[in-house]
Amino acid sequence: MSAAVAAMVALGFGVIVVRRRSVATALVAVQGLVLGVTALALAGGEGGALALAGAILIVRAAAIPLLLVIARRRTPERALVAPTTSVATRLLLGTAVVLVAVAATPPLGLGERVAEHGALALLCLGITTVAVRRPALLQVLGILVAENGVYLLAIAVPGGVPAVVELGVLFDLVLVVTVAGAFAGKIHERVGSGDTDLLRGLRD
Amino acid sequence: MTEALLIAQPAVPVATAALVLLAPSGRAADRINLLGAVLTAAVATALVAIALAAAPGVAAAGSWLTLDVAAGVFLALAAAVGLASAIISPAYLRHAGRSWFGERRSHVYYYAAFNLFWAALLALPLAANLALAWLLIEATTAASALLVTFSGKRSALEAGWKYLVLTTLGLGVALLGIVVLYVAAGEHGPASLGWEALAGSAAGMPGQATLFAFVLVVTGLAAKIGWAPVHNWLPDAHSEAPPPISALLSAALLPTVLLVSWRTELALAPALGTTAIRELFLGFGLVSLAVAVPFLWRPLPWKRLLAYSSLEHMGVLALGIGFGTPLAIAGVVVHLVGHAIAKSLGFYTAIPLLRQDPGAARRAARGVARFSPSTAGAMAVSLVALAPVPPSPLFASELLVLLGGIEAGLLAVVAPAAVLLALGFLGLAHALIEGLLGGRGRRGTGPSPRSARAVALLSAVAAAALVALTVAACVLPGSELVQGLTGGAA
Repeated sequence: MSAAVAAMVALGFGVIVVRRRSVATALVAVQGLVLGVTALALAGGEGGALALAGAILIVRAAAIPLLLVIARRRTPERALVAPTTSVATRLLLGTAVVLVAVAATPPLGLGERVAEHGALALLCLGITTVAVRRPALLQVLGILVAENGVYLLAIAVPGGVPAVVELGVLFDLVLVVTVAGAFAGKIHERVGSGDTDLLRGLRD
Repeated sequence: MTEALLIAQPAVPVATAALVLLAPSGRAADRINLLGAVLTAAVATALVAIALAAAPGVAAAGSWLTLDVAAGVFLALAAAVGLASAIISPAYLRHAGRSWFGERRSHVYYYAAFNLFWAALLALPLAANLALAWLLIEATTAASALLVTFSGKRSALEAGWKYLVLTTLGLGVALLGIVVLYVAAGEHGPASLGWEALAGSAAGMPGQATLFAFVLVVTGLAAKIGWAPVHNWLPDAHSEAPPPISALLSAALLPTVLLVSWRTELALAPALGTTAIRELFLGFGLVSLAVAVPFLWRPLPWKRLLAYSSLEHMGVLALGIGFGTPLAIAGVVVHLVGHAIAKSLGFYTAIPLLRQDPGAARRAARGVARFSPSTAGAMAVSLVALAPVPPSPLFASELLVLLGGIEAGLLAVVAPAAVLLALGFLGLAHALIEGLLGGRGRRGTGPSPRSARAVALLSAVAAAALVALTVAACVLPGSELVQGLTGGAA
């Protein structure tokens, strides 16, 4: 468990840091893979739980990244969208947010303290990613990192979260990513770039 | 019978969405949508009647759906605003021109998304389970984000994107809270997240983890309710969405999501005690008022002004729930209904207003009474009710909420809230006078669009309903309806 959590948090940091959208998408796909494999390992030999974990693995590690790859192909950038903050600033900000989140989390009663900390850390990393990255697609990846954090906590629950809830959440996630992909395409068509910093017209 | 109606409630609009996609023309889509909307509203009327007849008891309770008094009140709200929006939508679409979806099929996709959004909104008050409620809220986001961006303009894309990203992140936070709550409840199966089950197991839940979960759930939902400081999407989405959708967002979506956090609060109260709950809700309430009021003083475009007024009124509702006394809860009910009527009328008024004075989309409306008495009349009804000037039911409800706060012994909260409400009143009264009579607006009545007549009719109906609500506000405290909402204490 500890190794999986460490890998996921490291991948989450990667999404904040890397320059290219394709690399960030691959990082989130690997994160989904680590998560799915961990869920399969935790499901034990039970048939229903295995099938569910398998389905979730396919959606998180393959289907959603595929949607994002399609969205990226449809929105080619002429040049890299230059980040407004330096790598060091983003790393420092991410580290600070994660440390605060981990320190502020009370025992949640899971028994697996490392999963509790990892979930909160990923949620905060996801929110930070949305806040500091400008390209629309990277903001969607931030949402996915946060969602992966929530799912990490869900698979660590002894006995698991109800299957109907997991499937519902998965359906909603695919729906939101599809809509977000359509948005990214439309923003690109309208603005000529996926840079959300160019969308700053609404101010009071 | 009741079970069949409960299932039909979201099923009818979903079926309408599917049917509308087959419509050969925009006009046919208008007709199919209207028919579906009337049928949906008929089902809702039957359910509301059943729910309120059983007050203060619960008409029907299952593991996934419930029909209690709160469900009745919020269902009535979502159904009425949805029906009015369905009726007024053709007037908007007729002149909407190009949209995200291209001109030819724009009616069809608008109505399809509208009905899916409405279906989720109607099901939300009926949800008997926190997990189901979360799924429905997330479903509203996908459909309504597309509607916010319907015009396809750059500003609408900005607003829709902000709405999609911020509310999805907020819901992620809430979902984490739900998982923590599931662990704290200590039982297995989806039924353990039902409102009844949560209330039953709350007393035995570990205090610290439950409080953490509660804060995550309410803070996450606050991003969707539009409570400050997590309200950034609200003014943009309300001002860029088509007016019938702005009405649904402000008068139906925000309150029904608020109901979910209210139900969570009621269920977890035994585990948390009243202090923590109060601090959270009163905090959101006061901050929302403090953020909204300065904007009510600025010369904002009509729909943005209404959006900031929504922020103010969601703050009042948070205060009412935070005080939690029967008097405050009576105020909350009146406030919900009065706000829904006045605010949806206000947004519908934007349809003729922007036809007659297109510049009003980017600057404050001025001197409307000089060129369109009927539009000015509708604006007056809406703002008089929202300001609120007596005999507006919102005046009565704000009074009830503040009295409820005094009853709860929370003068330190009531005093700043009263000052902020008074300042908000002055700001809106000023906006009303300037909007109707101020500036050098053009004179003479131009060609009056058909939507102006529809809105004039709606404003007459709304004015009558608002006066009736003020009368009802006088008898509501202590009634069975309020008993049903406070769990028998009245």
